Amino acid sequence: MNMTMPPRTADAVLRMILAPQDFQTVSGDLLEEYRERILPARGKYRADLWYVGQVAGFAWRANKTWAGVLGGAVVARTALDWLVPTADFNARSTISTAVSAGIFVSAGFWAALRNSSFRAGTLAGVATALMAAVISILGATLLLAIWHDPPTLAAIEASGGLSETYTLPILLVVPGALLSTLGGLLSRYHNFHYKGVR
Amino acid sequence: MADVLGTFEQAVLLAIARLEDGAYGRAILNEVQTRLERDVAAGAVHATLVRLEEKGLLSSDLGSGTEVRAGRPRRYYRLNHSGVRALNDARAAANALWSGFKWPLKGHS
Repeated sequence: MNMTMPPRTADAVLRMILAPQDFQTVSGDLLEEYRERILPARGKYRADLWYVGQVAGFAWRANKTWAGVLGGAVVARTALDWLVPTADFNARSTISTAVSAGIFVSAGFWAALRNSSFRAGTLAGVATALMAAVISILGATLLLAIWHDPPTLAAIEASGGLSETYTLPILLVVPGALLSTLGGLLSRYHNFHYKGVR
Repeated sequence: MADVLGTFEQAVLLAIARLEDGAYGRAILNEVQTRLERDVAAGAVHATLVRLEEKGLLSSDLGSGTEVRAGRPRRYYRLNHSGVRALNDARAAANALWSGFKWPLKGHS
């Protein structure tokens, strides 16, 4: 029997995504399929890719709601700046920052609550930020395809330019990881304080 | 009507019915893939199993692990009465919708 193991990192990520009671059974199913069917048919490299893809699927399902809300909020802010230009971005930035921070803390809180580990919160923040970045970049591209008249292009420049539109969502990964870790720690405190779980 | 089932939910419940005592995660995944004739993500099947169990349409128990699974246990699923009823309702609804048509449809494009 082939006892080759799939990538350890992918297994560790899966452990942070799933509730503890689900991790053992789900990872066992994946390992069984990996060793008995995928590895003999595809070889080590492609079997590892298959395993990573399956784990990515679990990550997507666990974080798609938060990523959708965050991506939607970023696209809405982009549309507002482009289509309803302003000289004072202070109020908009304050609201956007608060919404994004709230989403990251909430994502981290719920992930850690489900998983009983604050590290799950950190992972949820990173996954949410990356998925939201894809949504917001696609959204901004769609907006640009629809509205690219001179006044809109001027508004885009005034609001920071296209480079900011396309790089800012990716840069959200770092604060997203920190804020969702905070959410994870709040979840651990909640569990300890109200349920007596360490 | 007990519940409104989607196509994928029906595929998962029917896989459990077919597999009988051997209905655990990997077997269900492979059965669904065979019947739907396409690749299906393990996460999609897992999410559906969790949802159907929360709806009370199926139950599960832990089994023992095997060497190929590195000792990790299997979770075996079985249909509840409400799951059987939901499948029967879904079939009855589809039959009612198709009543009066010959399959496959022709000349309606």
